[in-house]
Amino acid sequence: MTVAGYEMKLERRVTLAGWQAALIALLAIAVALAGFSLLFIQAGASPLTAYREIFRYAFFNRHGSLLTLSRFIFLALATFSFVVPFRAGLWNIGMTGQMYVGALAAFGVLYAFGGKQPSTANLNPYVVIPLMVLAAAVGGALTGAIAGFLKGKWEVNEIVVTMMLNFMAFWLVSHMIKEGGPFMNPGGRGESFEVPAAVRGPLLGNVPFTIIFALGFALLLEWLFAKTKLGYQIRAYGHSPKAARYAGIQPERISLLVFLIGGAIAGLAGYHYFAAVPGVYKISRDYAYFGDLAFYGIICGLIARGNAIAALPVALLFGGLSIGGRFVQGKLHLGFGIDYALLGVLMITLVAFQFFYRYRFAWNRSD
Amino acid sequence: MGQFIARSLEAATIFTFAGVGELINQRSGILNVGIEGVMLFGATLGFIVTKTTGSYLLGFLAAILVGALLGLLHGFFSITLGVDQVVSGMGVWILGFGLTTYIGSPYTGPLGLERIDTIFGLSPFFYLAVVLVVVTWFVLFKTNVGLKVRSVGENPSVAEVSGIRVTHIRYACTTIGGMLAGFAGAVYALFYNPVWNYNFLMGWGFIALALVFFSMWNPILLSGGALLFGLLWQLSLNPELLLPGIFSRYMWRMVPFAITIVVLVLISTKWFRLRWGAAKPEALGQPYHKE
Repeated sequence: MTVAGYEMKLERRVTLAGWQAALIALLAIAVALAGFSLLFIQAGASPLTAYREIFRYAFFNRHGSLLTLSRFIFLALATFSFVVPFRAGLWNIGMTGQMYVGALAAFGVLYAFGGKQPSTANLNPYVVIPLMVLAAAVGGALTGAIAGFLKGKWEVNEIVVTMMLNFMAFWLVSHMIKEGGPFMNPGGRGESFEVPAAVRGPLLGNVPFTIIFALGFALLLEWLFAKTKLGYQIRAYGHSPKAARYAGIQPERISLLVFLIGGAIAGLAGYHYFAAVPGVYKISRDYAYFGDLAFYGIICGLIARGNAIAALPVALLFGGLSIGGRFVQGKLHLGFGIDYALLGVLMITLVAFQFFYRYRFAWNRSD
Repeated sequence: MGQFIARSLEAATIFTFAGVGELINQRSGILNVGIEGVMLFGATLGFIVTKTTGSYLLGFLAAILVGALLGLLHGFFSITLGVDQVVSGMGVWILGFGLTTYIGSPYTGPLGLERIDTIFGLSPFFYLAVVLVVVTWFVLFKTNVGLKVRSVGENPSVAEVSGIRVTHIRYACTTIGGMLAGFAGAVYALFYNPVWNYNFLMGWGFIALALVFFSMWNPILLSGGALLFGLLWQLSLNPELLLPGIFSRYMWRMVPFAITIVVLVLISTKWFRLRWGAAKPEALGQPYHKE
């Protein structure tokens, strides 16, 4: 194609700098949001008003911005659980199941301490809270480990396995909290018993303390990938499993480890949402809503190209979009599921933009 | 019991349509991990069209059409743009899951039409599925077209040199795969369980994907697997038929997924892979660039 004496050509990229990847990501998000305007128009709302309301509520409203921060922590952890296996070239789409099992494990600790009858229980927060966090991480890690072990040992497709585990964990939660399950609310409302006030996740200011995990893991993971032998092995395996094997890296070990780490972080996300976010403090009846939100982690991870620190602003933006989306849904009387629809549109736009990670437009003077 | 068998066969036909579609896809070397999303789209649009027009035919046509479009989209991403096929498939799945939640929610609830008539007590789609399996097997293994599809999936560069148009064949296969997945979704939402609900497929598409791995890419083996999983699925909904009183009904719902993992592990063992390796399309999942 020739424009004003310049010839436009597609060229294969040899390298992709960080700022170029960031630019492509920003473009993809902008295009997705622009495309999503159609849904607002179709629903009879002005896209400009809708986006202004979304951003105003999510980032500048006191109440909304606190919700956004809680959601950000959740999405960041979900993203890390995707990112760690992703750096080794493996797909963890089981963050949902891992976070369910993590949440169940945390509630299991409460249950063991008699937290179901808070009036009789003498709960020491300095014992119970760390144990709940630990149990959540272990529960998530063990769930993830199933996929990692099977992948490493027999090359079992990890996408199918993690997805099957998601559904199993989903039904396991139902079993535990509904129809006479051990964690059922004494009032019998199809949700779990509440976390007693003494052992709810503490707040830093107004923000759940789990924000330490979100920020801490971002630094820790990038340090792991950049500076440690294990991180190097993970990346080497991600580049070429075959070459890594010749270099003496054991695939079984790498695959198991990345899923253990990813699963543990997803388990913490489950602890965070059901035991540390103000206003929740129970495994709610609509737990599938939070579970499916964890899939945002896939998009954040892909946009950040597997970089845990780069994933933070993406998780913050998407957290805000999903909170603000829910808000305008009510305010502008839109149909249920605006935030899910946005998830879908963002994802497919991002897939299309993957093309630009490998190609670029080049302009040459045509003679 | 007769009712139970009939329902199991209905479930099996849905697995078969989606699975055969994915199998055709994979035989041409394109992996689509997003068939759950295509099925959700077919189910939701088919449901909406039928509910608003009162015509089953239009509903199925809409489902097939949207399936074809999504198949084309996946083809465009993975064949023309050369995007990682897993990334693209994930995109199709999340798009389907996200958008159908929004599009379908105003239509939450039952379809409210008379159920499609059965033929000799069985779902008409059962007969259709049998025909589909036989025809697919015949075309893939006994005809020139099938040979072309398989050679494109095995080694696209060699196929190209021998005069086969790799891109055309792959586009055709992803489109047909999408149509079948969309149709499978519509059979679910218009016949098997005509009630729209948020994310109601609950893993059918992913089980169909696993069935293709089990089938060693043979449609006849695939239909056997689909039959087994149809029975299993129905059993997990009615455990009292086999083992009353053990576990809660929620625990039973886990069983088909657990068995999927077990079977997947069995066929991945070395003993099995000696045969399996030979059947797997060699170029599956790898982007192909014409030199």
